[in-house]
Amino acid sequence: MKKILALVLLLALAISMTACAPAATTAAPAETTAAPAETTAAVADEPVTIIVTNGKGEIAAQFDQAAKDFMALNPNITVEMYSVTVGDTVSIYDKLTSSGKIVTLAMVEPYAVNDKFVDTVASMDGAPWIAETTSAFKNVAGQVVGFPFAIEGFGLVYNKAVVEKAVPGFDPLSIKTRDQFVELLDKIIASGVKKPIAYQTEAWSVSNHYSAQFINQATDKNAFAADLKAGNFDYINNAVWNGYYDTMDVLADAKYNVYGERPLGSYYDEAHVKVGNGEAAMLFNGNWAFDSLKAAPESSFGFIPVPFTNDAADVNAGKLSVGPTQVFIIDKNATPAEQAAAEKFLEWMVFDEKGMDFVVNQSQIISAFKNNPNKVTNPLGAAIADAIGKGATLDFPTNYVSAGDYYNILGPSVQAYINKDSTREELATAFTDYYATLE
Amino acid sequence: MSLQPNTKQKIGDQLFFTLPTIIVFTMAILAPFIYGLVLTFADMPNVMALTKPLKFVGFENYVKAFADKKFWAAMVLTIKYVIASIFFVNLVGFSLASLVTSGLKGQNFFRTALFTPNLIGGLVLGYIWRFIFVSSLPAIGESLQIELLRLGWLGDKDLAFLAIVIVTVWQLGGYMMIIFIAGLIGIPNDVIEAARIDGAIGLRRLIHITLPLMVPAFVVTIFMTLKSAFMVYDINYALTAGGPAGSTIMASMHIVAKAFTQNKFSVGQAQAIFLFVIVAVVSGVQVYYGKKKELEA
Repeated sequence: MKKILALVLLLALAISMTACAPAATTAAPAETTAAPAETTAAVADEPVTIIVTNGKGEIAAQFDQAAKDFMALNPNITVEMYSVTVGDTVSIYDKLTSSGKIVTLAMVEPYAVNDKFVDTVASMDGAPWIAETTSAFKNVAGQVVGFPFAIEGFGLVYNKAVVEKAVPGFDPLSIKTRDQFVELLDKIIASGVKKPIAYQTEAWSVSNHYSAQFINQATDKNAFAADLKAGNFDYINNAVWNGYYDTMDVLADAKYNVYGERPLGSYYDEAHVKVGNGEAAMLFNGNWAFDSLKAAPESSFGFIPVPFTNDAADVNAGKLSVGPTQVFIIDKNATPAEQAAAEKFLEWMVFDEKGMDFVVNQSQIISAFKNNPNKVTNPLGAAIADAIGKGATLDFPTNYVSAGDYYNILGPSVQAYINKDSTREELATAFTDYYATLE
Repeated sequence: MSLQPNTKQKIGDQLFFTLPTIIVFTMAILAPFIYGLVLTFADMPNVMALTKPLKFVGFENYVKAFADKKFWAAMVLTIKYVIASIFFVNLVGFSLASLVTSGLKGQNFFRTALFTPNLIGGLVLGYIWRFIFVSSLPAIGESLQIELLRLGWLGDKDLAFLAIVIVTVWQLGGYMMIIFIAGLIGIPNDVIEAARIDGAIGLRRLIHITLPLMVPAFVVTIFMTLKSAFMVYDINYALTAGGPAGSTIMASMHIVAKAFTQNKFSVGQAQAIFLFVIVAVVSGVQVYYGKKKELEA
């Protein structure tokens, strides 16, 4: 009896092993380079399955619903939707790719388009949605390869009630210089707020976002980024680069910042609650901070541009950093039918009523497409839309740096500067040294 | 002639019980380990390299991994953390075990309660303690005028390190306590009685009778603390995320950052191999000498 049982068990295991083996080999990526997108028109209406990865974990449920709506409209296309878990280090994309799958349509950060994915992105030139946006993302060769999914921006997020109590009828875009900003802080203190700033100075915030802002001084950012890599930039003698850290000195100053006495203490949640309920007036973050801010139901928020100069006539003064932070790319190793299906999904988000509703109303994403009539209700998103309407925006500088490197390598250096463990000169050297290590 | 079927039978029985485990172990641990080892010899900046035939570069990744000063700084910090953890986890675990086997009223309740932190995952534990260090303790410090607690601990390099050690002790202390309880209960009563008749009580009995008989338990607890402290990631990530100013980045965190966020996959993987070798050697030596002591005792 025991022997039979053992045999059965062995057999079962053997079968499961052999069943696994061929699957693994066939799943290995195809070596053929797929035909370009032009042939897609010829593709018949055969059933096709595409893998889509969503890099914004907070809207996973909305994406699942979008896939269902899209599939109902296109019964021959099956969308396998995968979303990252918020805070996951190893992305779902890497997991799928290392198990031999081809992710047809992937949401990635723009910088990676010309870096990690440079060999796999399919050209989207000629796609009908390009005419509806100014944010189509191009590779270094000038081809459109990225579909702008989300427009986001950052600046000094402020609690409207608190600031307007100090300055009635406050216009955030009127703050163009550092002196005006300091004056505003003093007025807020005078209105009864002990410390107006609750900025948590976490490594990712002070590096990827804050420390990339100096790139906005260039008109051609790709060329500027190439110059940085070539080591042709003198940080310590650059007025704009210094200007941002002069402002950082104000932001981290114990006179103004709740956490000024010990600035680096992982205060993210606490800081956002403080600004949310009006204990403090502002912090530096992006429109995604709204979820953490809405502590009090009736509170409203806006953006003050980060001042970097005392010259109010500077063309970049008084403008917010805004741009596409997530783009969709199509893998050119996918079959033409899969690529066509992926393109169809992108078009659905731009031209279909349900698709437009999904992006803006359901997901509260600022659409990059001018034909989308919907408006986000989230006040920070609305503030960005307002700044776009007034032309008071700069580019999103993080798209021109490696966020992973900035966070891991420069983050600690910027934090050391904030903590007064190092000087401005040492910080400039850290930037030079980092760019020197890039190949 | 009669021996052969017996041997066959034995092998069959052996396989019956161990084969499933061997297969799972091979698939989940051995195969990924060997695959990972192979990748350290390849030029693989990130996962995209897998979509093309791998290019092998010999020991280049190991040279780069070895030359990475930040990795060794993280390693030194990890070793400090390992030493602190071993000392405090075992001290606390043993003290708690002595306490809850001393005939304390409600000791079964305390055994359960003190073990509970171990059931909470490291990430959750890290976030809970982050709240305590960032919000609760400063609030207490503010209202009771305790200067040490007034400012968040996670913003100070030394205090942030101490915070990680405290949370580790909190997590592992109760678990080690269970092992120590088993050891303490296992000490034969006649030995204790004989010691008492000979006049060995209190500290003397602890040093000369209890501790030598507890060596097997210590071998196990030190090994377990060593392993989990060297490999620590979850508490490190959830509590300090390597901050402030990168001062609490331990080896595992450095490796994950290297491989996955800085897109130097093979170099990170090579550093993981270094970490593996160090942990294997240290714990091997520890168990070898521990067992020797055990025999002497």
